Amino acid sequence: MRRPRASLRFSEARFAVFLVLPTLVAIFVVVLFPLAYSLWLSFTDVNLLRTTGPGIEILGVRVPLFRWIGLRNYLRIIDDPLYWSSLWRTLYFVGAFVLEAAVIGMGMALVLQERFGGRPVMRSLLLIPWSLSRVVVGLLWIGILDFEFGMLNGVLARLGLIDGYISFLKDGFTALNVLVSVYMWNQAPFATLLFLAGMQSISMDLYSAAEVDGAGYWQRFRYVTLPALRSVVFLVLVLATVNGFLMLDLIYVLTMGGPANDTTTLSWLGFQTTFAFFKFGPGTAILYTLTALCLLLTFVYHRLIVARFEPEG
Amino acid sequence: MTAMSRRTFLVTSGAVGASLALADVPRAAAQSGKPVSFSGWVFKPDTVKDYVNFYNGKHTGQVKYEAIPWAQYHPTMETRALAGEIVDVMYCNHNNRERWYENGLIRPVDDLPGTDELKKKMTPANLDSLKSKDGTKLLGLPYFTSLFILMYNEPMLQQAGIKAPARSWDELVEHCTKLKKDKVSDTPFLPNWNNSPSGTMPQFMSDCFSEGAQVFDAKNRVIVDQEPGVARAMERWQKVYKADLVNPEVLTKTSSTDTHRLFWTGRYAYHTNHSYYLKTIAGEPENSKLAPKKAKMAMYPGNGSSYMWTDSYTVNAKTKVLEDAWKLTRFLGGNLNGDWYVQRQWCLISGLDNPYPEMYDHPEIIQSYDRWIDLKLLREQYKKGKVIAAYKEPWYGEYDTKAVAIVHNIIRGATAVPKGLKELVALQRSLA
Repeated sequence: MRRPRASLRFSEARFAVFLVLPTLVAIFVVVLFPLAYSLWLSFTDVNLLRTTGPGIEILGVRVPLFRWIGLRNYLRIIDDPLYWSSLWRTLYFVGAFVLEAAVIGMGMALVLQERFGGRPVMRSLLLIPWSLSRVVVGLLWIGILDFEFGMLNGVLARLGLIDGYISFLKDGFTALNVLVSVYMWNQAPFATLLFLAGMQSISMDLYSAAEVDGAGYWQRFRYVTLPALRSVVFLVLVLATVNGFLMLDLIYVLTMGGPANDTTTLSWLGFQTTFAFFKFGPGTAILYTLTALCLLLTFVYHRLIVARFEPEG
Repeated sequence: MTAMSRRTFLVTSGAVGASLALADVPRAAAQSGKPVSFSGWVFKPDTVKDYVNFYNGKHTGQVKYEAIPWAQYHPTMETRALAGEIVDVMYCNHNNRERWYENGLIRPVDDLPGTDELKKKMTPANLDSLKSKDGTKLLGLPYFTSLFILMYNEPMLQQAGIKAPARSWDELVEHCTKLKKDKVSDTPFLPNWNNSPSGTMPQFMSDCFSEGAQVFDAKNRVIVDQEPGVARAMERWQKVYKADLVNPEVLTKTSSTDTHRLFWTGRYAYHTNHSYYLKTIAGEPENSKLAPKKAKMAMYPGNGSSYMWTDSYTVNAKTKVLEDAWKLTRFLGGNLNGDWYVQRQWCLISGLDNPYPEMYDHPEIIQSYDRWIDLKLLREQYKKGKVIAAYKEPWYGEYDTKAVAIVHNIIRGATAVPKGLKELVALQRSLA
């Protein structure tokens, strides 16, 4: 009898490890290493042009470790009033955006769940804002809202509704709300898509039973649709929150954080600190506080929406 | 059809290959140097490609050009240096030049052939601004120089019965007030108060200089709280903003380019911005309602001084092809063939000026500028251009960006002028 070749004598577990190893390596290189390295940078004094300090060799490439300075970057950023004003502005931005995206996303999903002529076309058109790059979205909305060239002012003036042109970005708080609304326009379709997918998985029997019990439209929504969509709501809130915290491109295109610092959020401050002031240590520290906030809010959402309703035992 | 044997095929293809290789020999031999890498930020990259191709053809060079978006340009160059990549010739803006030099990314060019001759041809102010902080080393050759100018909409002034453009700031405010009152323009004044590094702060320095004020002392410390001229300029800014003489949205414009496009509409009477923007305003009828030459330049009000700066081509300190890199740099920022080829192209195509006055005697340049600006007046304005040395300090970039918010708050009246000026001083001290 022929003996099996040595290379084939894998145990099942070893074979499994062998199969997933390339993926694990890819995850390490693409996700874990950059995460760990950027976290490390937030505790160091980084100067990209002076890399004579300690370093590690990875596959022949020298990765500088820079000088460890402990929590000094974090202490420095929390000592900066601009950090705190940007944090409160970020929380307002994220709160308003998540609310708008979830409510409008749900509203559009409820409409598109109903049967009416042209529904397939509407469902396809819905995805266009979401599929656009955010730089394009920003430029598009400049074309609509601009004081001088904006379409909206032109339309309002021709209809005789305004005497002089309106400056939508003049006041800082208004400019921040413009950013919230433009981002909602871009992101709500994705929430709609998720809600629609969730709604289509709800058994029609539940709605029939509710109707037999005399439930109206809003009662069916409150007691059938919403509970069944709990996990989708969780997903939408988490994604909207993370996207809201990280939003940068629209600020770059529409306001650059101005007027004054009235539209400066933490992501913009982190970007500026890192890439405009070349302060990679404090910059990554700012951005890691954002990461911590995202994780915290995800935990809160999970406790409020999912964990409370999990069956016991 | 005749069948070909394997042997015949190999022999034939070998012969064809050998003849092709031999045919390439003269071309390869003609190429003198090794490849030179050249990076710049995105500004008319097709123009750059054209003159790089011209250089490669005429000087048998092997230059590889790459354009990187402006916002990421300087960080990208630094991360590439971190990764060990050597880009032989690089654009560098004035704010980063000293930092690159002090950290060993670029080398001085004083010891390279032809530098002394170019130094003699350059205006002293531009030469100073290209030098290291201690004034001993020349850190690059000029890409372009520019300064702030005053532009005006001649038909609008004529319509309002204003015979000549404003010579003083008070007169400018008076004209704008009249234009608004007569409903000739809703917002007659368009200062470059945009949010980018080329907007609010260079405009701030220009107006301070025109009031005869200093912004920095000899040790590069901000001294605006001690200068009456700065307070005068800021009080004027508050006044024109409060009187709705300025389009408030200029505070959220993201670039000087976006800002100058507002002037294309012909709805503003006065605009202050970089000199080269007048080329599109007064010289491009396909874009601007103020072309041809309905927008004009006037001497900067006050004492006529305005902020001037010089961006540059620099040579990598670790380049392994120094001779070829320097030859390319001289072609770009100097006068390699005696015809100012690249400098002249920028003048003709984009109105980007350079610090070599002798070039402005060239008939082609005179004829080209005549289509959009009064060249003699522009040259007079350059004589009043004022450079600073503070951008050679390591804190300058952060100060320059963070100061915008303070100045915007002064403009909007959210901060009183004396308090705002003290905040600027405090900001600089906190970073130094």
